[in-house]
Amino acid sequence: MDNKAKYQKIFIDSLSIESAKFNEKIKYNEIPEWDSIGHMTLMSGLEEGFKIALETDDIVEFDSYKTGIEILKKYKVF
Amino acid sequence: MDISKDIEKIKNFSTEVKKNILEMAFTAGASSSHFGGALSIVEIISFLFSHKMKIKKNNPNWIDRDRFILSKGHACLAYYAALCEVGYITKEQIKTFEKDDSDLLGHPVINRKLGIDFSNGSLGMGLSLGIGVAIALKKNKKENNIFVILGDGECNEGSVWEAAMAAPNLNLSNLYAIIDNNNFQQTGSNKEIMNTDSLYKKWSSFGWETKEVDGHDIEKLCKIFEESEQSPKPKAIIAKTVKGKGFSFSENNNSWHHAVLSKTLYEQAKKELI
Amino acid sequence: MIINERNIKVWSTIGSRATFGIAALELAKEVDNLMVLTCDVSTSAGLDRYRKIYPDKYLDLGIAEQNLIGVAAGLASEGFNVITTTFAPFQTIRCCEQIKVNIGYMKQKICMVGIASGLTLGNLGFTHCCIEDVGILRTIPGITIISPSDSLETVKALEAAIKSDKSIYIRLTGSSNNPIVNDKDYTFEIGKSIKLREGKDLTIFCAGAMVYNCLEAAKILSEKNISCSVVNMHTIKPIDKDAIKKASEKSKLIVSVEEHNIIGGLGSAIAEYKAILNNSPKQLIIGVDDIYSKGGSYKFLQEKHGLTPGKIVDNILQNLK
Repeated sequence: MDNKAKYQKIFIDSLSIESAKFNEKIKYNEIPEWDSIGHMTLMSGLEEGFKIALETDDIVEFDSYKTGIEILKKYKVF
Repeated sequence: MDISKDIEKIKNFSTEVKKNILEMAFTAGASSSHFGGALSIVEIISFLFSHKMKIKKNNPNWIDRDRFILSKGHACLAYYAALCEVGYITKEQIKTFEKDDSDLLGHPVINRKLGIDFSNGSLGMGLSLGIGVAIALKKNKKENNIFVILGDGECNEGSVWEAAMAAPNLNLSNLYAIIDNNNFQQTGSNKEIMNTDSLYKKWSSFGWETKEVDGHDIEKLCKIFEESEQSPKPKAIIAKTVKGKGFSFSENNNSWHHAVLSKTLYEQAKKELI
Repeated sequence: MIINERNIKVWSTIGSRATFGIAALELAKEVDNLMVLTCDVSTSAGLDRYRKIYPDKYLDLGIAEQNLIGVAAGLASEGFNVITTTFAPFQTIRCCEQIKVNIGYMKQKICMVGIASGLTLGNLGFTHCCIEDVGILRTIPGITIISPSDSLETVKALEAAIKSDKSIYIRLTGSSNNPIVNDKDYTFEIGKSIKLREGKDLTIFCAGAMVYNCLEAAKILSEKNISCSVVNMHTIKPIDKDAIKKASEKSKLIVSVEEHNIIGGLGSAIAEYKAILNNSPKQLIIGVDDIYSKGGSYKFLQEKHGLTPGKIVDNILQNLK
């Protein structure tokens, strides 16, 4: 599985979203699953999945699927 | 509707309540008792226990009973007296008032067997309890009401106003706060100690269905409660009362906030009751 | 609740407050008569999701803690299973007398959850820290006091509290990325401490977020050939007397570590029992030394008040001389 596919899977698993409901436009607080608790679960899932430790600023900035991709470039995931 | 029979019933109940109060005050002896503040609520508590409240004689734990909280717990002489008249406390038991190991102390201690549903005495707490009960009754789909008697001095407590703010927000139409406005607190008059000014304005500004009434006029009590019934808001009844009402030596005399009832005065009081 | 490795890790990341929120959500599914009451702290207590999904089992009473306890007691008197929560100082001290009368005296059963206790919110100053709650509540008869060591233990404590017929205060400490003390499911019993490490020289009793620090301290001490037992005394009241007795028989030194004033908390509770034992060793009470210091980050305050693993080690070494 490449990292893009892995990234998507982590999103779906961590936020417990139905696959059918998932799309790349999702944003923090725009879907019920991605609330503050969902967000921390997602961050934890990404750290575990990609073996990285996210900085606090990045956790705060991470507000959409697309923004996440940009942030993860810093950690050489993409 | 002929309410004269109801008024007669409530009046008789009040007389018995006063008799019981005298007995307990005398029994207390040198320990003294909160005589004045109990007398100011005699008609109110008699109206509630003999007429307004849905309760069953001799069955204090009836699940469908209306609930009652004496937030001004030091007025317990009147409370125990009323509980005696509805068969929850015996005449023998009221003789144990303030005695060692008694179930009947100078402030009510929770005792479901005796119909004392809550412990009170530390002022300012009863209305919050009442809110919790009112919410629970609605959630359990019960049509019952909950009646809380507070003192006017008690309205100094901030916690009263926390509760007063919450109840209208929670749409508690089944909650009645009856304020015993006898104008006195322990050390002196309300005006001297901490002027509460217009309790009517305060409670109605908080969003309660607020009424003022002569707290010793049984007919007016009946009328005012009937008028308020339909309101969707919680009800605040500001009862204008006289501390120590009913006996010549105690009326409006703040020394009777907490005092010893001597044998002489006890005998005199019994004569005044007839 | 499903307790597995993944959840344990997630709960650790999100911290004990958010874990409490998740646990409450699960409880609401099973407990029909559950009511969660708060004082304007939904997000801070991890209850946003709960509030949206179970509005009928949730009540926000605004910033009015005295009313909170009275309302909770009224609900409890009518058969509801009630949890109250707000920041620890307001949950315990602001409405202390209401707790005494309604919970201690009248015995209305309520589970109180004090969030961000100890020094977590030190950057907001000591009004938002709590180093007094255990000491104050210990003096009110009838209240069990539990200080969970990590997020998993928070879940266990809450589940136990809901089942119990006693009133319980759960003191939540630590922040997000709460270190894991319990890495798999285990049996949690109110009143029974858990020995996490066996050692022959001394015994460290601890609770809450300090448990992890004490385990780290014990590792450092073992490198210096000092062998420590570490006991998670999650239930501070009623205290596990048996554990204290056993430790007193075997150890040269008893140490207690708490994110609380040294007066009145875990250390005092241990000392009170230890005092009646014949031939018990000295006790070193480590905690906040009865002072409101200047504020700062959680890490800064742990350092300042001798609660980091390194500082705990130094203190113990000094007292072993």
